[in-house]
Amino acid sequence: MSQPANDTRVPLIEPGEVSVDIKRENEFGALTSKDYLYKVKSTHGKQLKPSVFEAPPYYISLITYLNYLILIILGHLHDFFSMTFMKDKNIGLLEHDGYAPWYSKFESFYTRRMKKRIDDCFSRPTTGVPGRFIRCIDRISHDLNEYFTYPGTTTMCLNLSSYNYLGFAQSEGQCTDAAIEAANTYGSNSGGPRNLIGTTDLHIEAEKCIAAFVGKEAAMLNSMGYSTNANFFNSFLDAKCLVISDELNHTSIRTGVRLSGAAVRTFKHNDMDYLEKLIREQIVAGQPKTSRPWKKIIIIVEGLFSMEGSTCNLPALVALKKKYKCYLFVDEAHSIGAMGPTGRGVCDVYGVDPNDVDILMGTLTKSFGAAGGYIACDQWIIDKFKLDVSTVAYGESIPSPVLAQIISSLKTIIGEIHPGEGEERLQRIAFNSRYLRLGLRRLGFIVYGAPDSPVIPMLLYCPSKMPAFSRMMLQRKIAVVVVAYPATPLIESRVRFCMSASITKDDIDYLLRHVNEVGDKLYLKVSNGKSSVPEDGRPPRWTIEEVLEKTPEDCKHDEFFIEEQGLIS
Amino acid sequence: MDSVSQGLPKSIPIPAFLVNSFSLFIYTMNNYVPGGYLVIEYVKKSHHDDPYRTIVELLLFLYGVVYYLSKPKQSKKTLQNSKEKYNSLSKNEIDMLIDEWTPEAIVDDSEIVEESKWRLAKIPVMDSNGIKKYLNMTRDEGKESYKNVFNMSSNNSLALSYTSKEITDEVNKTIKNYGVGACGPAGFYGNQDVHYRLEYDLSEFFGVEGACLYGQDFCVAASALPAFNKRGDIIVADNQISLSLQNALQLSRSTLYYYEHNNMESLENLLKDINDSIASEKLPDIPRKFIVTEGLFANSGDIANLPELAKLKYKYKFRLVVEETLSLGVLGATGRGLSEFYKMNRANSIDITFGSMATAFGSSGGFVLGDRHMTFHQHISSNAYCFSASLPAYTTRIVSKTLEILRRDNSSVSKLNELSKLLHSKFMSSDELSKYVIIKSNENSPILHFELRADFREKNFEYTKEQLYEKLSILQRRGFTTMFFDEYEDEEVFLQKIVDSVLENFNILISRRQIMLKHETLPILPGIRVSVTADMTSEEVSTSADSIIQTVLELCSSL
Repeated sequence: MSQPANDTRVPLIEPGEVSVDIKRENEFGALTSKDYLYKVKSTHGKQLKPSVFEAPPYYISLITYLNYLILIILGHLHDFFSMTFMKDKNIGLLEHDGYAPWYSKFESFYTRRMKKRIDDCFSRPTTGVPGRFIRCIDRISHDLNEYFTYPGTTTMCLNLSSYNYLGFAQSEGQCTDAAIEAANTYGSNSGGPRNLIGTTDLHIEAEKCIAAFVGKEAAMLNSMGYSTNANFFNSFLDAKCLVISDELNHTSIRTGVRLSGAAVRTFKHNDMDYLEKLIREQIVAGQPKTSRPWKKIIIIVEGLFSMEGSTCNLPALVALKKKYKCYLFVDEAHSIGAMGPTGRGVCDVYGVDPNDVDILMGTLTKSFGAAGGYIACDQWIIDKFKLDVSTVAYGESIPSPVLAQIISSLKTIIGEIHPGEGEERLQRIAFNSRYLRLGLRRLGFIVYGAPDSPVIPMLLYCPSKMPAFSRMMLQRKIAVVVVAYPATPLIESRVRFCMSASITKDDIDYLLRHVNEVGDKLYLKVSNGKSSVPEDGRPPRWTIEEVLEKTPEDCKHDEFFIEEQGLIS
Repeated sequence: MDSVSQGLPKSIPIPAFLVNSFSLFIYTMNNYVPGGYLVIEYVKKSHHDDPYRTIVELLLFLYGVVYYLSKPKQSKKTLQNSKEKYNSLSKNEIDMLIDEWTPEAIVDDSEIVEESKWRLAKIPVMDSNGIKKYLNMTRDEGKESYKNVFNMSSNNSLALSYTSKEITDEVNKTIKNYGVGACGPAGFYGNQDVHYRLEYDLSEFFGVEGACLYGQDFCVAASALPAFNKRGDIIVADNQISLSLQNALQLSRSTLYYYEHNNMESLENLLKDINDSIASEKLPDIPRKFIVTEGLFANSGDIANLPELAKLKYKYKFRLVVEETLSLGVLGATGRGLSEFYKMNRANSIDITFGSMATAFGSSGGFVLGDRHMTFHQHISSNAYCFSASLPAYTTRIVSKTLEILRRDNSSVSKLNELSKLLHSKFMSSDELSKYVIIKSNENSPILHFELRADFREKNFEYTKEQLYEKLSILQRRGFTTMFFDEYEDEEVFLQKIVDSVLENFNILISRRQIMLKHETLPILPGIRVSVTADMTSEEVSTSADSIIQTVLELCSSL
């Protein structure tokens, strides 16, 4: 490449010269043994036992707060000197020539002074397919992440960071072929908004496929997942409606609800007793000031919460919704495709009839390797939405290659093309998720989430352990995502492993060995055993060899997961 | 310890446990706590000097304990009221109230909705030929079918994404190497080299310091602008901005002012007033101040007066935000947008530009252009950027390639300008047409908008723009879910008749302006839009313009 070695811009990387077989294997590892499959069981309308969100030992919390204290003090010192002596560098933060600063010093303090220190762990540029392995572009940090240079080389890392749940991020296979064909026949442009000119028969087909898949009468597509939520609620809610929202709901939902002007009450994550109390209270009290009854009350939850890995308690929610005549909106951004015996999301997990949920929303970015989002509900409601949801008339429609990817991946999951392949993918991700979760718990880490959830958050607590963990994993060629405040509570910094069907059991062994080693070095094994099945009353601290020997078999059994021990009807 | 109780007056009954624990406390303080005796000495001395002080301090301490143990009170008054009301009722009463409550349907299911549903049947559905110059389409669930329709409805003005082999090859190559989805948000390995490259390409092409990519053009403004604004900031906006900007203003929570559409005098007066009132308030910090407008207005097709805006923005220390969804790639000799159209420098004149990759660049997604401080802040705090997955790799390559083509060869832009002017002159030259319709579009706009003349509308549909806006505002204030006005509906039906007639008789696809009254907070009217794309020929545009004009005349005169 003609790229100079110390360029500060991300180079455009030429695809590597590898044979098709190796490329395919890099994107989607072949299954090594039939033992490494797990068929998810539906709970048939029963509730799982609630996950235990284990609290860390007191000294860990204390150290974490201390850690922040030091960071904040240093940050303010840093700010003081920087603002006094290096005014030019901080022009975005300071008043100049009578203009107000671009953004507030106080509000951006966290990102400038804390996130900046670990910026090398975020936004790592990649190239190629984000499949089983991801090709990270090497970069060298300068002046405490002030800027980066790119030598033009890349590193293949094991990918636990992409939302590639079912492994459809591929450049080989039926989905890619379909996408290319669509690009060549339909073209890759979108033309304009759906109601104006942006609709093709491919849109209609994709909508029908999705509706059939999620078990609703009709569906409606939008070209961006975030905007599906952010521009949705104002089409049917107003200031006289009440939204009851889980406290951990995604920003897109909050933005959308804010745009609608509806009143909002939040309830503690998955706390059904409090939710019921809140609903009763709100129905009785009605709107504030006027005390008139609410026009409608809608409960908004996510199917699988992206930072905790926990599922919503759908059977209880449906019961509440029916009892109190509320409406239920479930955002299945992470769960659709990735969870349930047939991949149909959280309804499938609990064996709940999709018709008991009023509106199902989901994104196509994740399990389907495409882009965009959908809303699924009854036909007459969709018809109304087509006249009322702003993106349909003002935003662009989904381009055809993406639609082709959606349709072909959906058909693979239900077994219409390549029968058996979709089922294998579902069983692989279920096995992988259970194996990694149980393995980590046995090693002594604190891990959140439902057993089958492909989102596996492992708690790190101290902010300083985040960059350490991320960098050490990168040295071991594993790409992981570390998350902290504001996406999580302040002290609960975590690493989030996103499991994928493309990863093999050997990859997880490799991962476990390294996480074990790094976990020892960083003192991360602090579980007291409350979130896992107790073994002789002691906190779990298995050795890595024991874990690798027993977990692949054990993880297929209910008795090793506290959530699956006895379902509540 | 006996000695202590002996020292006390007999008449005051003090419980023994108090005396005991107090003496134990003093004993431990003296003997076990290092430095404890100093505290005791101090208290003794202060008690000796001023006995009342001890009582006051003791009371203070007790008050602290009581305060700490008392239940925290609800801070929100409304919440408290609802709780009080709830607690004052018995369980039976509550159950009865809950039983009585009948919510409205999730979406409006009244008959009015049925009446506006004719629009659904009029949405064109293309077949596998895609959305190109000539297309095959069906409507009303396949009941109507048209072949080889001339497409005068597309936003893909430059049409490079399907006419240039270079771009179609690049799409194939990129999907072969990157797959389709990026499978992650920008911060978490979702940004690939192609995304970074497009940001560099965009900023170079438009001559700014940085760019920031978004997944959909409609949500760019609504996410990017609120990232900078908070309560107390000031936004001055044109009163004909499109819905995406209206949403952005609503989410920004700033103080809003509107100036008359493209009226620089009205703007200047407003800016002067605002600055005066800020000066009189003597605030500790200057608020952020923005002027918000559109490059090529989505609802009329006219163009903002950038030289004047730039002058005012410097004079009154405002920042200029321009939504250029429809003007980038279209205006100016090489498609560099509004600033090139007025032969100005973008970096000096516009602070924030919102652009779309789904219009002239023929891909999908949107972007923001601006200086490096602005883009830095976008990258860390704009919701739709941080919490949403990156664009598919191939969409970014289309735009990068388009920019590359435009850089070496601007023939598609000049061709488009030529066609736009031709279309415009055709419509303007018909005297008869001007009796019925009014055209506000600029001659350089590839989308020509026309709407019925005010007097003609009043005569036939019996309403004016002001009346519609008034009714709309009232219903919006009252929180109505469905906006339905008979006279507005009649006009829409009439306009659709024009569209249908053009389609049936001449095989040309034009369309009504897409409006969702429910969301619009500014005055708006129905209209028809006719657009040209760069791959058309002059003859095609000329003959179709004649056909459209003929149809409009026929239908309007027969009203």
